Amino acid sequence: MAVAGNPNVGKSTLFNVLTGETARVGNWPGVTVERKEGVRVYKNKKFCFVDLPGTYGISATSLEEIVAREYIISGEPNVVLVLVDGTAPERTLYLPIQILELMPNVVIAVTKADMTHKMGIHIHIDKLEARLGVPVVEVSAIQGSGIRELLEAILAVTGKKRGREKPLRIDYGGLEPIISEVEKIIKKYNILKMYPARWVAIRLLEGDPRLEELIRKSGKADVLAKIKQISSSARQSIGRDLGEIIAVSRFNFVDNLVKEIVVRIAVEEETKLFEEIFQHEIAGVVFSSLFLVLFFSLVFTINSGFPLDVIFCWLGWKQLAELLASYSLLGLMDEIFSFINATIAQLLESYNVQPWLISLITDGIISGVGSVLSFLPLLIITFFLLSILEDSGLAARLAYSYNSLLSKFGLSGRAIYPIVISFGCNVPGILSSRTALEEEERQQLIFSVPFVPCQARLIVIIAFATAYFSSSVMQALVMFMVYAVSLIVAILTSSLFRRFMFRKKEAPIFLLEIPPIHKPSLKVVWWLTWDYSKHFLRKAGLIILSLSIVTWFLLNHGPSGFTYNPKESYAAILGNFLAYFLSLYGVPKESAWIIGFALIQGFIAKEGLIEAIALLEGGEANVKDALLALGLNPVQAFSLLILFTLYVPCIPTVAAIKQEIGKNSLTLLIILYMFAVAIALSLLVNTILSILAV
Amino acid sequence: MFGGVSTTLDNVPAGARARIKGLNAGHGLATRLMQMGLTPGAEIEVLSNSRGPILLRVRGVTIALGRGMARKIIVELSPV
Repeated sequence: MAVAGNPNVGKSTLFNVLTGETARVGNWPGVTVERKEGVRVYKNKKFCFVDLPGTYGISATSLEEIVAREYIISGEPNVVLVLVDGTAPERTLYLPIQILELMPNVVIAVTKADMTHKMGIHIHIDKLEARLGVPVVEVSAIQGSGIRELLEAILAVTGKKRGREKPLRIDYGGLEPIISEVEKIIKKYNILKMYPARWVAIRLLEGDPRLEELIRKSGKADVLAKIKQISSSARQSIGRDLGEIIAVSRFNFVDNLVKEIVVRIAVEEETKLFEEIFQHEIAGVVFSSLFLVLFFSLVFTINSGFPLDVIFCWLGWKQLAELLASYSLLGLMDEIFSFINATIAQLLESYNVQPWLISLITDGIISGVGSVLSFLPLLIITFFLLSILEDSGLAARLAYSYNSLLSKFGLSGRAIYPIVISFGCNVPGILSSRTALEEEERQQLIFSVPFVPCQARLIVIIAFATAYFSSSVMQALVMFMVYAVSLIVAILTSSLFRRFMFRKKEAPIFLLEIPPIHKPSLKVVWWLTWDYSKHFLRKAGLIILSLSIVTWFLLNHGPSGFTYNPKESYAAILGNFLAYFLSLYGVPKESAWIIGFALIQGFIAKEGLIEAIALLEGGEANVKDALLALGLNPVQAFSLLILFTLYVPCIPTVAAIKQEIGKNSLTLLIILYMFAVAIALSLLVNTILSILAV
Repeated sequence: MFGGVSTTLDNVPAGARARIKGLNAGHGLATRLMQMGLTPGAEIEVLSNSRGPILLRVRGVTIALGRGMARKIIVELSPV
């Protein structure tokens, strides 16, 4: 069974009530559109439900609509379950009507029965069923009512005991003769046999790029030309766009239907103060910003202590900051894994296992697994809170507030989530790029968001700023400049990418439904969250693990085999190689290979950069001295800082990019792009500032 | 207030009602707008129209749309 419905109609809630924990999340083949499947057993029969993307119609205006439509007609679903929002029947009945014109095996579920009654709306279900000829069931997913009736209806339609024989036929008045003419041509030349002829005729007159493409592919382009001729001469003689007439006729059908079956006891919706705040321009942005910052600070503080621990540091409460960090989820996981590592290392040593094998198992594999698992809590919390925002209706309002600002950079208001989240960590930032309104916008985000400095990079920034700059003013200025540069690069990347890659000058089309604010269903939110996280873990986990092992190899192996001495490792050799180009910055030779090595370590995790330098400066007591021992001057420190902040995404981010963008080639392109920008920019800064400083 | 005045949606002040007369948009955009309920003949009520996207109510649903798009929707103001 396919499950279709408008966005915001309560589809996820109903789907989860129907399928419970059997739901699996994946993608439709070949596209980055999400596909959910689940199973329900009822009366010893297995019902397989496939969730279609939420769409407003099945014309070919978006990838989601094409996917939904082609699945419906594929022959796989016996029944299409279409959802209608009981609180907004006028608009949401449009989709089932469109689907009924395509295929007759439909069951309609009228959702939000609880809200409908509260709002004083009464729908004559029997009449609707009589008019459309298909079973109509009123359900309330939240309360769980109507579910059995729904399953019975589906059974009945599958067993041909209820429902329609043929698709719905709407009278298009003056257009009927033209439709018949086109229909004859379609039947004569056997065009698109899998679709009903009348439906194809109507779609072609409305204009359907996807069907036209399919006709051309089947070699019948000349027939298509004939049909288009009929269509344009009809448009000329009628004087109005045919698509418009047809859509209006459908809506007239719906409006007449609604007049018959819906009774509203006049209830004026009170616009609460809450709503009014979001609508007000400035207050909306301010309030939203506050909300977002607090919201996601909460997420990240629970996960790793940041940003609360940084705040504590500044206030001079260093011990409290460290306490917070160590008791955060990440801190706890860190301890657990260190403990496991140490225990296993001891155990293996006592069995006289080879040192390199011990290192592979502890520093390579277990640490790798640890780094994958350490993302799990963060992802779960982020998705959970995002789902709450989405389900409650707040997300739409926040996007509305930010749209004017973000549209200047070729983004829509929805992009605010990936951007804000990326300040904490790029991995959930990239994964949440799915909230974008358009595919192009989503890709823009994947390319630009890695430039946003995450908390790991903040550690590097703070370390360098405090080591090389003495006054707090200079330190703050340096940190501010690094953030500013990174954000400017991100923003420019987004708008230039949009302009040159997609040839679009305007910002994404902002057309968004603002649902009423309501209490989110925690059960649904939780199920969705868990599915998402599992999905990431499976796909990205493998990439993270394998790349970690490769890097471990570079760091712990040299030409003479396994070694504890970093100076003999391949990474050091690579570091020396990088030293040649680092000399362009005027970096002292003895330090160049250390920085090169650190760059490789930074690929695993950005804070590893600092650890590497500390390690290699041969036992300097603290981080600050280790950094100073590199012997850089302030200009070099600043330029290299820019390099460190922008050069590559960390391994987990790369895994996330690969998952979201799909192709290996594009992932590589993003990495190379970042690298090029980082080098160019930091060299430029270095050269200019060196000249000015003299 | 004169009834029957023709203008574009972005010019309709908050609190006013209007009826859509036509869509001055390309095929894809027009289809999307109509599927959301913004068809010729539909009655709308503008909730908010300052800077930024316009908020309106149509067919019982609240929708936000960008100004660029609002400029493409021709409406007839309803008499007060």
